[in-house]
Amino acid sequence: MSGVRGTEIMAAAGAREIRDGEVVVVGIGLPWVACVLAKRTHAPRLTFLLEIGVMNAEPKDTPVGVADPRNFYRATCWTSFRDVMGMSLQRGVVDVGFLGTLEIDGFGNLNTTLLKDESGKVRYFNGSAGGNDTASLARRVIVIMRHEKRKLRQAVAHLTSPGFVGGRGRRELGLRGDGPHRLITDNAIIGFDPDTHAAMLLSLHPVARLEDVVENTGFPLRIPSEVPTTPLPTPEEVRLLQEEIDPKGIYLG
Amino acid sequence: MTNKVKTVAEVVQTIPDGSHIALGGFAINRGCIAVSHELIRQQKKNLTLSQGVVGLDTDLLVGAGLVSRLIMGGGSLDRFGPVHCVNRARESRSVDAHDYSSLTICFRYLAGALGLSFIPVKSLLASEVLERLEAGSAAKDVQRMKCPFTGEEYLLLRALNPDVSFVHVQVADYDGNSQIHGARWENEEQAKAGRRVIVITEELVPTEYIQRFPEKTIIPAHRVEAVIHQPFGAHPTAVFQCYDFDADHLRLYVDHVKRVERVPEYLKTYVLGTKDHWEYLDKVGGLRRMNELKADRVLGY
Repeated sequence: MSGVRGTEIMAAAGAREIRDGEVVVVGIGLPWVACVLAKRTHAPRLTFLLEIGVMNAEPKDTPVGVADPRNFYRATCWTSFRDVMGMSLQRGVVDVGFLGTLEIDGFGNLNTTLLKDESGKVRYFNGSAGGNDTASLARRVIVIMRHEKRKLRQAVAHLTSPGFVGGRGRRELGLRGDGPHRLITDNAIIGFDPDTHAAMLLSLHPVARLEDVVENTGFPLRIPSEVPTTPLPTPEEVRLLQEEIDPKGIYLG
Repeated sequence: MTNKVKTVAEVVQTIPDGSHIALGGFAINRGCIAVSHELIRQQKKNLTLSQGVVGLDTDLLVGAGLVSRLIMGGGSLDRFGPVHCVNRARESRSVDAHDYSSLTICFRYLAGALGLSFIPVKSLLASEVLERLEAGSAAKDVQRMKCPFTGEEYLLLRALNPDVSFVHVQVADYDGNSQIHGARWENEEQAKAGRRVIVITEELVPTEYIQRFPEKTIIPAHRVEAVIHQPFGAHPTAVFQCYDFDADHLRLYVDHVKRVERVPEYLKTYVLGTKDHWEYLDKVGGLRRMNELKADRVLGY
C-alpha cells in the first residue's frame, strides 16, 4: 500500500491499542487523532476524556489544541480538572492515558518540560499540564511520537512524567496504575517487559527497517528473533483520517 | 441585591504591587486579557501569578516584566506556539517558577477553597517536577507523607490562596452570580480560593435570568467582590458560545513575542498605546472583526 503516511500508520496503530468500552484520558495531537479513530471504528463505546473538563465531545472541526472550543462540541459533560483528573484519573477508573512527549527513555519516563543543547543551555517547553497526572494515575499509558535518536534517549533531560523510574516497579515508586504499556513511533511499536520493565520491540512498520530503528533508539531495545510487521491502516481508516478527523493535516502533517 | 459593577481600571487600582494574582485563562480560552492589559497600563510590579495551564493572559504579564514568581502547572498557546515570554523568563531566571501539574495546581486551590491548610495527592511522586520543587523556594509548599491509615505514600500540598482571583465568564448578574459555559478547568477552585474574587463578564444579566438556570452558577454572589462588564474582554482568546479565538491576532502576537526585542513593540501598540479595552478592540479590528469572530449558535465558536 503506497502513499500511507507515517503519521497515519501511527494513528491506526494507536487506535488498535484501545478496546471498546474503555475510559481514556487523551492528550492533544496524535493521541487525539488515534483515539477519535478508535471511537469511529472499533470502539464506539469509548469514554473520551480531556483534562480541561470535557467528556465525549464529537468535534466537527479539528481542534488546534486542548483549549480550543471545537473540543466542546456535542460533549456529554462539561466539567473540570477536579472531576476528570481527580475523580476519574486519581479515583482509578481510567484505563488508558494517551500522551505525546518531547523525549522518552527506555523505562517509559517522559520529558515535556525542557531540552538541553550540547553546551548545557536550557530551552523550556510546555511543562507537565495534565501529563504527569495522567502518567502517574492511568492504568496503562500509551505514548506516541516520532522515532528520532534525540527523542528516544538513554536518559531524558528532565523527568516530567514517571514510567518505571530506574527500572523500578510502580508500587515501589509510590505510583498508581501499571505504567507505560506501549510506545508507538513512525517506525515501530515498542512494549515494556512485565518483569524487568525494559523496552522491547513488538513490531516494525512495513516502511521501516530494523537497522534504522536500532540506530535511532538511544536506549537498549530488546529485539525478538522474529519481528512481526505492524498492520497498515485499512483504506477506511485512511479515509476517516484524511477526510473527517484531520482533513487539514494539523496533526497528520 | 448590591450593584458590584466596576471598571477594570477601578479594580486594578486597588491591587498593591507584590500581590498574588490568579488568572482564569487556559492557553487560548477565556483568558483574562482585559485585566492583564490594565495591570500593564498601571504597571503593577513584583506580582506572583498562579494558573493551572498558563496562557496568553499570563504570558503578556511576564512579557511586560511585572511578574517575579510563577506558580504553574504547564503552559501553551496550543498550535499557535509556546508561551514565549514565560519560557524565556524561565530560561533567564528572571522569574522564580514553581512548576507543578494541572491536577496539583487545582488541588492547591481546592484546599484553599475548602478552608484546609493542605491536601494529599498521588501525582508528582517519583518525578523530577517534585524534586525541583523540594530543592527550590517551593520546598515549604510540598511534603511527602505516608497515609496514617494505610501506609500509602502521598504528596501533601500546601493550600494556595491568591490575594485576588480573576475569572472571565459568559454571564453574571450585578451582584456577582457567575455562570460558566463549556469546560471550566480549575476556574471554580481558583476563584473560591481567592481572598478577593473578581469576575469579568461578557454579558451582564438580571438576577431573574440567573434564577432560571441556577445549576449553571459556578461562582455565587456572596464570594464575589466586583463584577467587570467587558464584552470581548478575552480577545484574542476564545469564549465558548460568545466568540472564537482570533487566529490572525494570535499569530501576530506570537510573531512579535517570539523575539524578545519585539515584545515592547506589541505592548506599546496594543496595550500601553490604548487607554482601555474598548480602544484596544477598535485597534484590533473593531466591531467588524468582533462580528466575524462571533460564535455560531450551534457550534459555540
